[in-house]
Amino acid sequence: MKSYDKETIQDLIDGKLPWQSTKSIMSQYKDEDRFFKYLDILQDRVHFQDQILLPIGEHLYIVAKEEKPKGERVVKCGCGHEFGHYTENWKLNAVINVREEEEEIAEIYPGRLSYDAEWMELREFFCPSCATLLEVETAVPGYPIVFDFLPYLETFYHDWLGKELPAEPASD
Amino acid sequence: MNTVPETKMNTLKEQLLESDRLLKETGHYAGLQELKNRTEDPMKYESLHTNLRSIAVEAREMARRISASPGVREVGEMVVALYTPEGDAISLSTGIMVHVHTMSRFIKWMIQNGYEEDPGIRPGDIFANNDAFIGTVHVPDVMDVMPIYYEGELIGWAGAVAHELEVGGITPGGDVYLAQERFTEGLIVSAEKVGTNDSLRRDYLTRVERNVRMPIYWILDQKAKVASCLEMREKVTELIDDVGLDYFKRTTREFIEEGRRSQLSQVQDLMVPGRYRGQNFYGHITEGKQGILPLSENANLLYSIPLELDVSSDGKMHLDFEGTGSWGYHSMNCTPAGMDGGLFVALTQSMNYEGKVNDGAWMATDMNLPEGTWTNPDSHLAATATSWSLMLPAFGIFQRLISRGFISRGFKEEAFVGQVNSPMVEMGGQSQYGDKFGMALFECAAAGSGAIGMKDGIDTGYVGWNPESDMGNIEVWEQGIPMLYMGRSISADSGGAGRNRGGTAFSSMWLVHNTDQLTIATSEHSSRVFDNAGLCGGYPAPTAHPHFAVRNTNMDQLVEEEKPLPHSLGNNPNQTDLEKYVDGDFEHVEGPYIDKPFKSGDLFAHTYNGGGGYGDPIERDPLDIARDVENGYVTMEIASNAHAVVLDYDEEKNECKVDTKATVKRREEVRQSRLNKAVPVQEWIKSERKKVMEKDFVPEVQNMYKDTLNISEKFEKEFKTFWNLPEDFTM
Repeated sequence: MKSYDKETIQDLIDGKLPWQSTKSIMSQYKDEDRFFKYLDILQDRVHFQDQILLPIGEHLYIVAKEEKPKGERVVKCGCGHEFGHYTENWKLNAVINVREEEEEIAEIYPGRLSYDAEWMELREFFCPSCATLLEVETAVPGYPIVFDFLPYLETFYHDWLGKELPAEPASD
Repeated sequence: MNTVPETKMNTLKEQLLESDRLLKETGHYAGLQELKNRTEDPMKYESLHTNLRSIAVEAREMARRISASPGVREVGEMVVALYTPEGDAISLSTGIMVHVHTMSRFIKWMIQNGYEEDPGIRPGDIFANNDAFIGTVHVPDVMDVMPIYYEGELIGWAGAVAHELEVGGITPGGDVYLAQERFTEGLIVSAEKVGTNDSLRRDYLTRVERNVRMPIYWILDQKAKVASCLEMREKVTELIDDVGLDYFKRTTREFIEEGRRSQLSQVQDLMVPGRYRGQNFYGHITEGKQGILPLSENANLLYSIPLELDVSSDGKMHLDFEGTGSWGYHSMNCTPAGMDGGLFVALTQSMNYEGKVNDGAWMATDMNLPEGTWTNPDSHLAATATSWSLMLPAFGIFQRLISRGFISRGFKEEAFVGQVNSPMVEMGGQSQYGDKFGMALFECAAAGSGAIGMKDGIDTGYVGWNPESDMGNIEVWEQGIPMLYMGRSISADSGGAGRNRGGTAFSSMWLVHNTDQLTIATSEHSSRVFDNAGLCGGYPAPTAHPHFAVRNTNMDQLVEEEKPLPHSLGNNPNQTDLEKYVDGDFEHVEGPYIDKPFKSGDLFAHTYNGGGGYGDPIERDPLDIARDVENGYVTMEIASNAHAVVLDYDEEKNECKVDTKATVKRREEVRQSRLNKAVPVQEWIKSERKKVMEKDFVPEVQNMYKDTLNISEKFEKEFKTFWNLPEDFTM
């Protein structure tokens, strides 16, 4: 079975591994122990103690809360901002900017690179605490905000990883 | 345990029914619950697979040297594959792998429709098809299959597909954007026996010669495909001599069952079970353009393409396109065969790239393509000439969705923001040699790719439909078209901003040369909306650029006076180099280009698309931005506005230095400015709800909602629930 040390994986996911080594990893069979090493790396980087159960984006993690209600599975930004239970769309608890004015659109899409704001919205979802741009959604005006990813966490841990999740308190 | 037929069955139709029954009842391809030959002698087993793959690759390479078409010779728009008697792909070459499963549909269609009795299937027969409702993506993808016999028994099929550069449609080229019904798409060959005794029929070739604008491409491609089928037939027969027929039959089916299992286990190794959702959009502008038939009520169209991907505990992927729009009188519809192809080629690039790449992967997935939508028109008269227009965004979402799974598992090197449309230039009229001609300029097969989870996207070297992307040499294209390249240039800022930048596209500028009549029609332009997004905070690549043309130019005078000439559109987004250097009659055309013919001395410019970005752009390494500016991928304006980097740029030396202190400060200011501008999502929903209640949308948006709310109860329910609308709300 392929396996890489934590430092190699760290450099790989940060894009710092030399291309030849990266290419070699990409061409090999995957390292089956990647997931928990990856979680270790991410856990070292976040500003909270809650156990990361599953990353769901660049700075977004489903965690088991340390504080009460202990074990509750919520979505957190790497800075510690909490977005609510993972079965709900985290975007609904973010802050949003929609570029509507020509000048604001031209900052990213100037002149002939522009889109039509009457046909398309560029929805920027930020973390309300650290202002990281977590997701940019493209949508026709009036299109419901999309719930990107609802993982089947129990199935994933129990059936695919052969591990048990930390218990979650029963909801009211 | 061993249900593969050891002896010949009565008919192919019975074999096909039996194969379908076994898969349905046992869950295993051909009922193979054990991979016996693999277990007993893995070396022999793998050796057969490697041999079959080599045969397909070799046959394709040989065929490319027979073809006259730069599409096949230069760009590699071809694929060769081997099938079981029932039409399931065993092994395939590199190239446009999208067609491996569409060809499978074609073979099965002939079997299901009684071709064994009439017109009969015999050794040496050649069957051709480019009818998308039987099994291809669109008319230019012409496929040829030949049965392979061993000791009198049909034991498989050799097949080959090439994308034709001219098909004789209402406008020249292959992807006939102006087609609004089947009858204007060009020459359609519907599962026809076009040859016997290893030769193409004279009457068939006559039909091609008289009905397309550039028959040399179609005819030599067809001969190249037949040659590749003959090569495969001969080599496969030799292999069977070595390994024995029973071993061959059993093992080739084990390959497919292994491919099926491999796909399921790849999903379990790389992804997370769950429900993934996303959407893309496509804008189609035809108002005011000549030649548009009055069949459609709406000149301009806006399509929404939502996709829900469910990954179940057994690793099976179910794709659901419910909520997308109706098919229409335009060329962008797609058949289920085409959608199969789109899924298959996406899988070969994301999961099904190692081990046994064959129809097994397709069996481990399924799709809901709602009837009556563009994904599954309920009339076979619908045109599908530019089905990639909607299909690429559709499977661009798929690539983003599976990438979320890869990111969750830590395989960021596999996460890929995905494909985009790369609009194509098609042309015809009078060639530079004085003859009639027609041609698709296939340099579009080298767009910018979406960014990857840990690196930038590929610049000018990726398209979704052909993992072996190539733009072809300028000199080769110039031999076939009455235009000279003024330049082919990186299109600055065409990659989506992000921590990892989307791959950039390029643009070409041509001087029309030595002709009095050159008609240009372009296709696959998404206007006004993005046709793919970014990921994890990355921005989408700019949508398709408008066209710029100048007629009645003063180029001769500029050349004579040795004045500067335009070679690209330039980096000023508000003024092109055409406007800067040339006098004449200027055209600025949004969406697909169609207008009166050009003549010598006119100028035309066309831009391909870049890919979406990944991650927050203000997290991008400032040194990477400096390098991007020096190399012309990103302008100083975007470096500052999108990436919040402060650079000191010496234009004369083309040297960029990062002002680190000022960059840190600027990025902090950007964060603060973001928080000042942004509002809580719940507040935004309240204000947006008012717009929805008042139907405060432009007509194209309103029409899109009218259509999708009408065609999908599921979307209607979701829409009303999200905006908390009254039950009797209508658009």
